[in-house]
Amino acid sequence: MKQLLAATTLTALILGGTTGCFAEPAPADGGDQRRLRVGLAFAPNARMSPFTDDASLVTQLGVTETLVNLDPDGTVTPALAERWTVTNPSTVRLTLRSGVTFHDGTALTAQHAAAALQHATRARPVPKALAQIRLTATATDDRTVELRTAAPDPVLLHRLATPQLAILAPRAYQSDPAGPDPIGAGTGPFRLTAVRGTSGATLQRFDAYWGGAARVAGVDVRFLPDGAARAGALRAGEVDVINAVPVAQLPHLGDHRLVEVPLPRTVGLHLNSTAGRPFADPRLRAAVRAAADPAAIVASVYEGRVDVGAGLFGPASAWAASGRTGRPATAAAVPAGTRITLATYTDRPELPEAASALTAALTGRGFAVRTVVREYTALEPDLLAGRFDAVLLTRSYLLDTGDPIAFLASDFGCAGSYNLARFCDRAFDTRVTRAGELTEPAARQNAALQLEADLIGRAVVVPLAHERARIGTTTDVTDVARDPYERTLVTARTALR
Amino acid sequence: MLGTLGRAGALAGTAAGLALVVAALPWLRGDDPARSVLRARLSEREPDRAALDAVRAELDLPAHPAAGAADWLLGAATGDLGRSWVDGTPVRATVAAAAGASVTLAAAACVVAVLTALLLVAPVAWNAAGTGRRWSSGPRVMAAGTAALPEFVLAAVLLTLVAVRWRLAPAAGWFGPSYVVLPALALGVPTGGMLARLVVTAVDTTAAEAWVRTWRTAGCPRATLAVAVARRAGTVVVPQVAILFVGLLGGAVAVEELFAVPGVGRLALRAALAQDLPVVQGCVLLLILAGAVMGAAGVAAHRGLLGPAGAAGLVPAAPVRRPRRWRIPLAVGTLLAGAVTTGLLRDPDRVRLDRRLGDPSWAHPLGTDPVGRDVLAQFGNGALLTIGTAAAVTALALLVGLAVGLRGTRARAGGADVLNALPPVLVGLVIAAVLGPGLLPAATAAALVAWVPLAVHTRNLADETRAGGHHQAAVLAGAGTRWILRRHLVPAVAGPVVVHALTRIPGTALAIAALGFLGLGAGHDTAEWGTQLAAAVDYLERAPTAVAAPVAGLTLLGVLAAYAPEDVR
Repeated sequence: MKQLLAATTLTALILGGTTGCFAEPAPADGGDQRRLRVGLAFAPNARMSPFTDDASLVTQLGVTETLVNLDPDGTVTPALAERWTVTNPSTVRLTLRSGVTFHDGTALTAQHAAAALQHATRARPVPKALAQIRLTATATDDRTVELRTAAPDPVLLHRLATPQLAILAPRAYQSDPAGPDPIGAGTGPFRLTAVRGTSGATLQRFDAYWGGAARVAGVDVRFLPDGAARAGALRAGEVDVINAVPVAQLPHLGDHRLVEVPLPRTVGLHLNSTAGRPFADPRLRAAVRAAADPAAIVASVYEGRVDVGAGLFGPASAWAASGRTGRPATAAAVPAGTRITLATYTDRPELPEAASALTAALTGRGFAVRTVVREYTALEPDLLAGRFDAVLLTRSYLLDTGDPIAFLASDFGCAGSYNLARFCDRAFDTRVTRAGELTEPAARQNAALQLEADLIGRAVVVPLAHERARIGTTTDVTDVARDPYERTLVTARTALR
Repeated sequence: MLGTLGRAGALAGTAAGLALVVAALPWLRGDDPARSVLRARLSEREPDRAALDAVRAELDLPAHPAAGAADWLLGAATGDLGRSWVDGTPVRATVAAAAGASVTLAAAACVVAVLTALLLVAPVAWNAAGTGRRWSSGPRVMAAGTAALPEFVLAAVLLTLVAVRWRLAPAAGWFGPSYVVLPALALGVPTGGMLARLVVTAVDTTAAEAWVRTWRTAGCPRATLAVAVARRAGTVVVPQVAILFVGLLGGAVAVEELFAVPGVGRLALRAALAQDLPVVQGCVLLLILAGAVMGAAGVAAHRGLLGPAGAAGLVPAAPVRRPRRWRIPLAVGTLLAGAVTTGLLRDPDRVRLDRRLGDPSWAHPLGTDPVGRDVLAQFGNGALLTIGTAAAVTALALLVGLAVGLRGTRARAGGADVLNALPPVLVGLVIAAVLGPGLLPAATAAALVAWVPLAVHTRNLADETRAGGHHQAAVLAGAGTRWILRRHLVPAVAGPVVVHALTRIPGTALAIAALGFLGLGAGHDTAEWGTQLAAAVDYLERAPTAVAAPVAGLTLLGVLAAYAPEDVR
């Protein structure tokens, strides 16, 4: 018994001794300090470095800002730069807003902005938005930044809106230029004061914010990767806002508010058209299109909380719906037990269910289907090696530049770096190249729709659904950002009633 | 002295071997670490040549696994564990922070487990002390049922009820002592059931020993005797607590993910998926050190609890006889077999999207799953896959465990404790890298870790038997090793260890299922219970029967195992 007692005491001691390992005191409960409590789905995985996925995490929390923003139509709007002139096809001059200070008190100058962009061009790997161009940024005076590219670039301004090109104070780059530290170095309405590993983060209102001080005193962030736990924290009143509400949790939100924003993100079945593979035959691809029932999948698996797939481009892009015309479709063949593999990943909980539904539908049509479902990271090598006949994935089509042509080139071009359909048609490539030279956004969008019609008509990809961002909030929260690019969430206007 | 050297040598050898295995992961997987590291940093960045080259230039990948392992070992010897490939932070700090969270959680879970076990065992010890009646089915069934609860289902239930409905504890996060409550309960309660199961068996054995009758006849107070019986029974179990602690340290991946606990299991899994080798190696080093330390501590505690009698070799061992009970196991077995048979007669693969998450009805007695498949049919077909695979794995683990445990001539912390510290998930990743994902590799991974607790249990029981008078008499009489093994050791050890193995079948099934959850086990759309649970647990509140069916199956299986005959002779 003594030993048991000793063991219990020991464990109690261990427990007591290790409480220091917790990530600081809990985020404040109760709204009296008017601090917003936020539960986010993705934890930082590289110390909030803007050269990684953490970039959009810090812009979502209102810590860092870019020179320009994109509005839902894909038009460039002012942010840290208040105006700009395109002096020639490969040069843009931006004039910075005056009165902007970094969180450490330094006033923003053109030299700072140019240096921040130059750091981004030296990041390893280089941000996706800058991957295809060679950018040089120079300050011509205290408020003017001049950007040059090696070749004419019609979407140079669009590129500047990517969170990875956020402008940080010089101190961010001091200790590690390859992984800048945004603590005290942003320009946004909230100052990042502490990052607690992968558990949480603390932000304070930045009173000198150029856009006027934020309406809440600060933000306490918890990173909650599990959807049920995230929704649970909201339902239990532990957080005020969560992002990425899973479909499974929707009926439980009760009195909470659900903010839905159409995303430029499409769920589709990409068919591997490599020669010798079953789907090299366009008529078998058409058979898949005939078998898939997007409306049924949207109604059941997604419970109607996404839009039925109409094409590659969805309702997040107003131009897509208005400019789309009919398309000639290939006739379907009857597959006689053709063996195919269908792959998808578990990172998005709805995809495996959709895969089950598709597998059943394809089997019913006469295919012999083997379904492979793995964590994305474990799936990707086989995915890129083209080992599957059909890949079900959700893909953002405007992510870094807001430009549909770049997406078509990378996903359906012969040299495309993410061409899962392994589609290669020289005529198609030529049309993509020509479309990439157009400077008028409307003309580019129109060209994108014609290329899309070609792909869908030949059933290279079968679109199933257009996704929406789903943000859950308590009824006290007003004005969370409705951003189709998911680059902002908490802003200076976000308030607690 | 030699023994200490031997232990240190075994430990160093294991560490070097594992470092080599981890360093060889990219070669085994045939997967470029530059790609997976890029993916961990930038989920949607196209892996074009320029991007991959940029990442690769930073990683300074070794030319050969052996070179990589040697470099790492040299660094580790001087306390330098390198820097993470994904975020560039020093590995030692990252692993230490995760270890802090995991040790806290595992310790709290062990407290919960011991309390649960005491609650379940107290009536049995009391009973044994008072009447000498040894077989008590109630606590035994409860213990077995508790031990069979899948921790990630329990975690989801606790989250919904305790945090969301009753608001008694925070839902998820890691910001203070109150955040430990739910994960510790989710991990500790099933572990407590497993402990209780072992103690109950040990109490039965103890109650049959002659000294108990002597004490009782001498008028020893009942409470004193109950404590003495419990203490005597506890000796077998203490090393198990140490083992469970280490298992919880790195193996709590699913619970850590759900409750957002920044622990070692989650860190190791993320790092392994990203092929962040320095971090994986740091985690493995931590776990094998913990395994070695706790293994030794368990052995020491066992020695201490055996007391002077054990040290003097005077503890008597007696055969256990208990009345046969047929009614309950027969009823449970019939129920399980009936449900499985009914399920097997139905179509498990028929997808009906319009019947998503249907309530139980005449057409679907247990309702339907998220794509409208019949839950009863899935249950029946899953039973064959799940129980069959787990039984095969356990049988293999039993043979290996008995062989290894009986061979050990003295209690020692060696390779077994070290291996036990490795989470099955990590082992599964390595196996899947070599064999490719599937049910067989998952079963292999589960078998690789399943034999360890059985070997430790065997070792402890054999130690006790060797301390018994009849064993010493046999040795003095000049009996050969084989004779002693056959006539004394195997009969004394086999029964309890077989029972132990049987109670582990549900656990083994779950370990296989956890691998399936990561796409490293049974394939998608396979009606395996774990795969089914992984798909249904998100809908716990909406379609409880889809979760309850496999859980009930596992629990019934556990209860059935509790009635396994013990006096195998």
